[in-house]
Amino acid sequence: MKPTTRIALLGLSVPAAILILWQIAALLQPTPLFPGPGKVVLAIWKNYPVILHELGITLLRASAGFAVASLTMIPLGIFLGRFRSLGKVLEPLMDMLATLPPPAIIPLVMLFAGTGDWAKVVIIAYAAAVPLLMNTYEASHSIHPMLSRVARSLHLSRLETMRLIDLPSSLPMIATGARLAIASSLLVSVTSEMLLSTNGIGTYLQRSQETFKIDAGLAGIAFISLAGVLVNAGVFRLEKKWLFWHYRDQRPTE
Amino acid sequence: MTAAVVAERLRVPICAALVLGTWQIVFLSGAVPEKYFPSILSIATAFWQMLADGSVLTAWAQTFGRALIGLVGAAVLGITLAILSDLSPVLSRGFRYVSDVLQPIPPAAFVPMAVFMLGLGAKLYAFVIILVTVWPPYLNGVAALSGVGAVQLNTGRMFGLSNWGLLWRIKLPAALPEIFTGIRYAATISLIAVIVSEMLAGRDGIGFMIFKKAFALRTPEVFGLMFLVGLNGVLLNGLVNLLRRAVTGWHLRMMERPE
Repeated sequence: MKPTTRIALLGLSVPAAILILWQIAALLQPTPLFPGPGKVVLAIWKNYPVILHELGITLLRASAGFAVASLTMIPLGIFLGRFRSLGKVLEPLMDMLATLPPPAIIPLVMLFAGTGDWAKVVIIAYAAAVPLLMNTYEASHSIHPMLSRVARSLHLSRLETMRLIDLPSSLPMIATGARLAIASSLLVSVTSEMLLSTNGIGTYLQRSQETFKIDAGLAGIAFISLAGVLVNAGVFRLEKKWLFWHYRDQRPTE
Repeated sequence: MTAAVVAERLRVPICAALVLGTWQIVFLSGAVPEKYFPSILSIATAFWQMLADGSVLTAWAQTFGRALIGLVGAAVLGITLAILSDLSPVLSRGFRYVSDVLQPIPPAAFVPMAVFMLGLGAKLYAFVIILVTVWPPYLNGVAALSGVGAVQLNTGRMFGLSNWGLLWRIKLPAALPEIFTGIRYAATISLIAVIVSEMLAGRDGIGFMIFKKAFALRTPEVFGLMFLVGLNGVLLNGLVNLLRRAVTGWHLRMMERPE
């Protein structure tokens, strides 16, 4: 066996130990409100069609919010990076919005937009907007001056400069922003569903608590975690594929 | 002076004026009903009144205290886990499995289940906040500890340091700047976690207060409280930065030096 495989296998003992300790703690407290991992596995088996359905709704909403944010914030970030004075003036506003946790705006959006699908999409879009805007702006604003000169000697218009020069050279940093934004839109979609309940996995968790089905709730959490892991892995692969030119340039020359 | 220089020097006042001005124009134009979009003045008055009757100060102290305790706990635990990972590759791998599984779970998801297991007290907040904020200091710590240069380590060995001495005198100080980057990120997450937990636990703190005011359609108060939440972020970040300067000042001075 290769040493790396051995370490990977031995490493599994850490999560295993946590699960065993949890099971022992659950056995010592024989109440349905403290289920052990065994009961959670049973709950997963019993509830997975419902959980998958609700999770699908949540993921759909999260993607809608993320799409709205990227379609508006990436162009805005590039624009502010090119028109420097405007960008500089708005920097403090961006910094301030960055410190405001997205869930804090949930009650406010509720006042404006109610508790329907749109309200949630707005909240998710806001949550995704901050990292996207910050990263796009940061990238397009710190572009190498040589690239701007190239644009000028090619007589590119401002729009063409933004589209042909600023956008492509900002892409690696936009990708970083997008990764953060995806994580944060998943987090916020679940949170908003828990607070403004209609449907989705967040509502499912909330309902499990209200009906004292803690094991079903923990099963739902397990699926959220699985979805997060899969989405992250997918994003990682897409990034490697689409930005291969960037990673190729970064590799040290031998 | 060119426009860019003016913008650079006066950007905070210009930005504030722009935001406040646009706000007031939207308010005066009547495009949005006043119920949802109060004037700056009424937000300020509402905020002042909440300050005067003391309700906001108590809630603020609870929220900020919870975030701070959670952040300190997460930083200590994260650094401990990172040191353990540095000592043993098996533990390192094992912790990574756990962090991969737990990291994608939003703080809000833990709250309803944890309420039953831990009650509504300080334990709940400590548990939820530490569980979601421990990862940035831990991950940065692992990366920084394993990235310490061979020259530095060999210098330490030449001075006859034991493995513990190497860790304590060389690796940990070299890793601290990167660990602090993780702690700063964790500070942002801990504020999110505490606000969300308070909204869901529904008993006290700023998070609960925002929700209560929103349901009562007290829009000026909601805006005022949101401003306070933003201020909390600035304050917590400032505290972390102070500590960072005190602990890793040598690194910052080195970075500022030309060359």
